[in-house]
Amino acid sequence: MLKSKTFVKKTRSGGVMKVVREHYLRDDIWCGSEVCTECKQDSAVLQRDACIESSLCPYPHYLVPDTNIVLRQIDVLEDPVIRNVIILQTVLQEVRHRSAPVYKRLKDIIHEQGRHFYTFTNEHHRETFIEREPGESANDRNDRAIRVAVKWYSQHLKTAESGSDGLKVVLLTNDQGNKLKAEENGLVVYKFDEYIKSLIGNPELVDCLALSNDDKNEVTSSKVLFPEHLPLSKVQAGIKSGSFLQGTFRASRDNYLEATVFVQGEGEDSTEVLIQGLQNLNRAVHQDVVAVQLLPKNQWVAPSSVVLQDDGAAKDDNVDEDEEEKTARRATGKVVGIIKRNWRPFCGMLNVSQIKESTRHLFTPADRHIPRIRIETRQASTLAGQRIMVAIDGWPKDSRYPNGHFVRSLGGAGEKDTEEEVLLLEHDVPHQAFSQAVLSFLPKMPWSITPEDMAQRQDLRHLTVCSVDPPGCTDIDDALHYRELENGKLEVGVHIADVSHFIRPGNALDKEAANRGTTVYLCGKRIDMVPELLSSNLCSLRSNVERFAFSCIWELNHKAEILKTRFTKSVINSKASLTYAEAQMRIDDASKNDDITKSLRGLNKLAKILKRKRIENGALTLSSLEVRFHMDSETHDPIDLQTKELVETNSMVEEFMLLANISVAQKIYDEFPESALLRKHPAPPPSNYDILIKAAKSKNVMIHTDSAKALADSLDVAKVDGFQYFNTLLRILATRCMMQAVYFCSGMDSDFHHYGLASPIYTHFTSPIRRYADIIVHRLLAVAIGADSTYPDLMDKHKQSTLCNNLNYRHKMSQYAQRASVAFHTQLFFKTRGILNEEGFVLFVRKNAIIVLIPKFGLEGTVFFDSKDKASPNLVFDEEIPGVSVPVPEAEPQAKKQKLDR
Amino acid sequence: MATVQVSEAEKVYILHGIRDDLRVDGRGCEDYRHMEVETDVVSNTDGSAKVTLGHTAVLVGIKAEIGKPRPMIANQGYLEFFVDCSANATPEFEGRGGEELGTELSNTLYKVFNNQHSLDLKSLCISPGEHCWVLYVDVLLLQCDGNLYDAISVAIKAALFNTKIPKVHISSDEEGGKEIELSDDPYDCMRLDVENVPCIVTLCKIGHRHVVDATLQEKACSVASLIISVTHKGIITCSRKVGRGSLDPESICEMIEAGKRVGKALHPPLMKLLQQEESLGNKRQKVGFLG
Repeated sequence: MLKSKTFVKKTRSGGVMKVVREHYLRDDIWCGSEVCTECKQDSAVLQRDACIESSLCPYPHYLVPDTNIVLRQIDVLEDPVIRNVIILQTVLQEVRHRSAPVYKRLKDIIHEQGRHFYTFTNEHHRETFIEREPGESANDRNDRAIRVAVKWYSQHLKTAESGSDGLKVVLLTNDQGNKLKAEENGLVVYKFDEYIKSLIGNPELVDCLALSNDDKNEVTSSKVLFPEHLPLSKVQAGIKSGSFLQGTFRASRDNYLEATVFVQGEGEDSTEVLIQGLQNLNRAVHQDVVAVQLLPKNQWVAPSSVVLQDDGAAKDDNVDEDEEEKTARRATGKVVGIIKRNWRPFCGMLNVSQIKESTRHLFTPADRHIPRIRIETRQASTLAGQRIMVAIDGWPKDSRYPNGHFVRSLGGAGEKDTEEEVLLLEHDVPHQAFSQAVLSFLPKMPWSITPEDMAQRQDLRHLTVCSVDPPGCTDIDDALHYRELENGKLEVGVHIADVSHFIRPGNALDKEAANRGTTVYLCGKRIDMVPELLSSNLCSLRSNVERFAFSCIWELNHKAEILKTRFTKSVINSKASLTYAEAQMRIDDASKNDDITKSLRGLNKLAKILKRKRIENGALTLSSLEVRFHMDSETHDPIDLQTKELVETNSMVEEFMLLANISVAQKIYDEFPESALLRKHPAPPPSNYDILIKAAKSKNVMIHTDSAKALADSLDVAKVDGFQYFNTLLRILATRCMMQAVYFCSGMDSDFHHYGLASPIYTHFTSPIRRYADIIVHRLLAVAIGADSTYPDLMDKHKQSTLCNNLNYRHKMSQYAQRASVAFHTQLFFKTRGILNEEGFVLFVRKNAIIVLIPKFGLEGTVFFDSKDKASPNLVFDEEIPGVSVPVPEAEPQAKKQKLDR
Repeated sequence: MATVQVSEAEKVYILHGIRDDLRVDGRGCEDYRHMEVETDVVSNTDGSAKVTLGHTAVLVGIKAEIGKPRPMIANQGYLEFFVDCSANATPEFEGRGGEELGTELSNTLYKVFNNQHSLDLKSLCISPGEHCWVLYVDVLLLQCDGNLYDAISVAIKAALFNTKIPKVHISSDEEGGKEIELSDDPYDCMRLDVENVPCIVTLCKIGHRHVVDATLQEKACSVASLIISVTHKGIITCSRKVGRGSLDPESICEMIEAGKRVGKALHPPLMKLLQQEESLGNKRQKVGFLG
């Protein structure tokens, strides 16, 4: 049967269009119940004895939630207790339309076999399809559709012989009107919280209930704390007329009363608007898209340099404005409306309320950008000391904190697994095990190289190829060779694991890798981008096995100038996999004269020349502190810690990788000027260097930042006698001034320059096992040399550019996760150490705190001057001179201690 | 124009019959052939109607779009006509064969319908000088068996009656910028008042007499015909002579009188039919093109 759906919509040009869609109704849609004998379904999803013990419904029953229940209470629905649920198509579509994340979660539940969730396509069922009636709103129609479907179900299941055992269908809705109408129709209907509270076996589910708008919060003081948000239509009109600005809200890490809103302007000119004070922040949460209104110029303020943690009451008002220099004032505004909330479940800890019987508690998120959240739970005593996940439900205007609900517990705080889970979740790192669909695209084991493979590839097995990597590395994606040619020239080859041979475009494996974007290295743990079979075995260029490689082979003269470049797919057989230290030892050990050692020496010599040339061109040598932990082999607890040491061989490998990356970048750009995936590093705006210049000035050193070259040179000469670490310290600071390097698609941008490497063009080619960008570059290069065929998405610059955005995001998050992991292990390390005395350096000075760096541990921390129990020492604050001498409180919460500065 | 070959003897036969007020198919001089009207036949238009008159079949679809009012009449919307003489109707229309006829028809339709007397064009105005509804009236000839004008005009009237224009309202912000807002209820729409929409009556001069609703054979016997558009009150809004021959003033007067009479009688049954059909609402079984 054919029906048509008609609706009018506005076109982009402002016109009005009538759209008509055909809609087919069928009579072969089955109900999915085991009870039913009429429907000719192959396997029924809904069980015969659908028993959830409930005091309201003692009989077996199926649940039908309406859209709002699914949207708001998905956390409860995810609980394995809830089974035998019918999800109507109407609901599914509406959920999909309203919230993509909830939709995905719902789909996941539906796919779970043991949950018995059944999707009933009521919109296409002949008897449950309804047409919208005149004067009926879309929502009313959907509610009616749901009621009609429930009615149909209850009648359908009644007629099916089993009338006596009383299987019923229960509609769950929080909508009063809908409920009344359903009752009129003789349906069994309950409010969601009624139903959940009636569950006999599972009282803990009540905690997961999201607060609905209508149950007014008694605890909140009746006084209105925040101004009302403007309705969306007004906000949009305001943005159009320019009286409001739209931007992403970024809460300050250090001060809960301060935030910036990043307003994306046309092209390059984007501005930041400062927001100060609770009232002006107006319930915006980190990462929300908000509308801000600028305050009149005389109310503009400077960003405060106070570190403020939200301790609850009292300091609700604006930070006292004392002698602020007029110059530091910045555009200041207030939040007038929220355009899009960006709430996700947050990990953190519960602050158990002082009142024993209270069920309302505050929750402190791990992410300091996020305000505390008030939740209601009866399991406070069990949850105390655990890491839990909480979702925000809303933030009423008369409440100091947003209201939320408990989602799940991750485990005891301080336990390694729990903390690792927390930091993966907080950084949005996909870390589930690979799905069956993904694994199905792996090559079958035992895997071997076939003659066909050999025919398509150059046989380089005879070359003395070796790899140099950090100790314990199992995903070896690069290897090198070096030999002298008969014509007196030198040949150097960089061989990269041929991952794109195994990961074919568009399949589940490829999609998963593209989504993960990068492998994340945590301390003692690796979250792989591709399944282990590939990363540690088939792709990994291990020694003495035959592996596929993508080779980049140069002919160089003795001055390390490139004479010829050649790319080819090949088969190699690595002769040795060395660690940096081993390679260094071989080079230094004059008694060794085997092929491998000779190659290493040759490579090392060339690398030095290359490095010198690069530095002459203005490449920056920056520094950041990286620490390594020595792990206890059994408990996996850190037992010692050291900063990473660099040996010559590190930079040897690095030089050739850079060279390969640049050569490849040039090649793919020449071949595909519109769709090459490249990496750029924009020059930072001059203002970024302020902290660096200021810091250097304190020791009377001048830093020139006009160009990369000038910066590199002035960093080289910036030395203070008797303060050796000063130079490293400056380099650390310089690193922080830099912009993020990003992937981009050459067709979408015109500025390709890589500032840090001083290269006009750059890409990533050398680590396809752990970076997805490299896989794309491999594919592009393979097409360029005719070794592989292309596919449409590869040449689509818009698709490329979306991919780049994801890769950049994943890359950034993985770095944060890595840092967080190091920080956590540092904490673990200090847990057992007690008080230590170490040398530290003051990085920044704030009004009431200093930020201190301890190089030995690569640790950075905030030291407050005014501890709670002690009066603050008398200080003179002068931002110009980082390096005040003050006595520092002896006991720091983290049981580590600093001796200060010189 | 679609033509048929008629021999001299046949012509004489037709001519004599008409002289005696008895036409080949048994009708009187002022009788129409059997007419069928159905509205709402094309779902993706805003209004549509299909009319068959004898073997003549036309389909009219109306699309409402937002446009800019004509500069001289800022407070009115307007209609645009396009007549598609498809080769389905007759092989002569193949290629660009129907173009000339199409233009001629649409010019006439424009004169007849696009004025304030026929249709309240002011109701099509959204905001004076800026936005108005433009009704694109597309006429498709499905089969030609004479008397296209009358069939088309009835179909247009029916389609206009059927037209549902989505209601919009203009919201303006403080800066004076205007924004068109659309209701999300597809039933929330505006209807047109078609009371004054005229119907066209074509009178064919055959011999000394004239007939309405001439078939192709009859048309072949005629040298000239008069087109007049008549409202339900019997007011003539437009008249035109087509054909190569000439008409003497006396017979023009006669023809106009006859046209008025016929035209006036045409409206009430048509309106009655349309309202009847409308009242059936969604439950009506559509006949469409296969019925």
